[in-house]
Amino acid sequence: MSAEAEARARVLRVIAAGRRIQDPNDPLGAEARARLPAVTGLDPKGVELALSAHLETHATDAEIDTLLARTGRAPRCHVILAANVCTAPLRALALAAATSPDIVVRPSRRDPVVTDLLVRALSADEAFVRTHHASLTRAASITPAPGDELHVYGSDASIEAVTRGLPAGVCVRGHGTGLGLAVIGGDAPIDDAAASLAWDIVPFDQRGCLSPRFVLVEGGEARAEQFVQALDAALSRAAARVPRGPLDPALAAEIALYGASMEAVGLFLSRPSHAVGFDPSPCALVLPPPARVVHVVALAPTDAPNLLAPWAPFVTAIGLCDDGLLARAVCERAPFARCSPLGAMQRPPLDGPVDLRPSRA
Amino acid sequence: MTVRPTSEALHERVRAFVEGILRGAPPEPFDDLALALARFQATHVPALGRLVRARGIDLASARDASVIPALPCDVFRLARIAAHAPVEDMRVFRTSGTSQGKEARGEHPFRTTATYELVALRWGERMLWPDRQDLGVLVLAPSLEEVADSSLGFMLDLFARELRGPASFHVREGVLDIEGVARVAAEARASGKPVLVLGASFAFVHLLDGAGTRDFSLPPGSRVMQTGGFKGRSREVEPTELRRAIASLFGVPEAHVVGEYGMTELSSQLYEGTLAAALGARTTTRHGVYVAPPWMRVTACDPTTLAPLAPGETGILRFVDLANVDSSVAIQTSDLGRVTDEGVELFGRAPGATPRGCSLAIDEVLSRGSS
Repeated sequence: MSAEAEARARVLRVIAAGRRIQDPNDPLGAEARARLPAVTGLDPKGVELALSAHLETHATDAEIDTLLARTGRAPRCHVILAANVCTAPLRALALAAATSPDIVVRPSRRDPVVTDLLVRALSADEAFVRTHHASLTRAASITPAPGDELHVYGSDASIEAVTRGLPAGVCVRGHGTGLGLAVIGGDAPIDDAAASLAWDIVPFDQRGCLSPRFVLVEGGEARAEQFVQALDAALSRAAARVPRGPLDPALAAEIALYGASMEAVGLFLSRPSHAVGFDPSPCALVLPPPARVVHVVALAPTDAPNLLAPWAPFVTAIGLCDDGLLARAVCERAPFARCSPLGAMQRPPLDGPVDLRPSRA
Repeated sequence: MTVRPTSEALHERVRAFVEGILRGAPPEPFDDLALALARFQATHVPALGRLVRARGIDLASARDASVIPALPCDVFRLARIAAHAPVEDMRVFRTSGTSQGKEARGEHPFRTTATYELVALRWGERMLWPDRQDLGVLVLAPSLEEVADSSLGFMLDLFARELRGPASFHVREGVLDIEGVARVAAEARASGKPVLVLGASFAFVHLLDGAGTRDFSLPPGSRVMQTGGFKGRSREVEPTELRRAIASLFGVPEAHVVGEYGMTELSSQLYEGTLAAALGARTTTRHGVYVAPPWMRVTACDPTTLAPLAPGETGILRFVDLANVDSSVAIQTSDLGRVTDEGVELFGRAPGATPRGCSLAIDEVLSRGSS
């Protein structure tokens, strides 16, 4: 078997391990459902949504080809995980498996659940261990040697801190934090767009770097306000199926201050399950707290470059419903962002890192 | 009545209140004046009007300033907060740069700075030079010509002009002129004339780091005012350690080194009262406790509900500043603090929520800049 074929086979075994976690009847799947609500702060239905709809257990051959093309090769691959969304370890380990048969992973201290389960699944997987001679080891500390790859997940500051003390010759790939935004084009049907977008906001309670935080609405203030009302209703409907997890006091405080600001500049709709802020004539964007809180602005395509300039480096995902003027203006500003239709922002193909921006390391 | 005459009348009422209350005879109750300002602002500042309507507050019948909705500082970068038209701006103070670029800087426009100047000087006099005005002024900050939109720069320039000693500014194009500071210190020692040293905390750190063996000691009666944090512009130094080091460098008692708290969105300032107490102008106090002027009311608020907390409880600070005549009389910060009979204790910016995902956190955005 060629090295390329071995790498592909290892990735497929990681995906198979993910399927066990996805399956509520598998002991690993049952354990995930039992442990994740407390660890993640998601409602149990939010955990179920994450595992059933957002764990990346299906990939086409072409997607895996692309994933393999986007990864390096190394004798050993070390992975330092952060408390990203709870399903993130699957993709991270798939990337590591594409890189090397010898994987060492340090799970997030706060959220080790899916990593632990994948380690157990793969350690018990004859095909992974014996046929493909691969190993996945859980480690408390990571000590890469020259020639190894190190995949680091976390804030830019923590990536920088990890990278600082490394020996020369370690290839570091940093996966930082980011944000998503959605564009509602001038011809988009408001209610349909809002209904789709709600299902980009609800998964992981908006904690993922693909989660839309800003919504840019083309077509004037009145249309944007109409969208705000439609999104508010759509988020309420979505919350009836998948409630938001409990808010901690610090997050509730961030929402309170954001809400007061929005009451002053436009409109703030606050519900037990979500909130929508609206700025009808934005001169700057304000980042809402990641707890199903969305900042909507009315925006003309000509104003997009200025408004987005400070945020462009952080944009990892753009949700679109057309390729109109505003959509094109936004995509030009964030060329590395993943673009997807509304409703699919949180289901990126397993074709490489979620974040396609240049490495943050 | 149009905006300008009403604004002028309110400015006059505020200035009369300031002069009166310092004599112990305010011409009207604080709450009446604060509510008059709030009604004017709710009518002429669209953001405040929206905030009042959103909260369903009836300012016309209100009798207590605590009902005035406080405008979050963030709004100063999202909307114009001024009762007057831009063409009438005499001066616009801007918050320092953030990671979100110059366009996202907060702006506080002033139609007139007369009230701002009065309150800065009156409280500065009480807290920094209650004993004498013949002080030299040594400023570890750029001159106003270099930072025309800085409220701190404006205040420091005002102090330098007010005091009767020689004044010098020692930061040019971002570089601290350490030799110049040493030279001014030597001149002060030769003349025996005390000096008021003013500057941002990070500038003092740069001075301490670059001081070498130079003699910066100042004549007896000299004093130091430091303000602001480090904002990534120097190494961070714990406040007690920094104060000791500054006192040692200039040869002044620690009580003569005081902190100032101010912000672009406010017109009035708070100071630690140790200098005024050491000079016999106030009762004894301690470092870490800031004293607000009597035309400002500070309240700690519940961070989640924004409702006022009982005295002594810790929350995010809300300021009712009567000197904010043409903008917003009530300001909601995200700074944590506690208000007691002694004064206001400041605990820094309220910590953000712990990130629980790879979504960009508000704290991360703030830490990337120097807001």
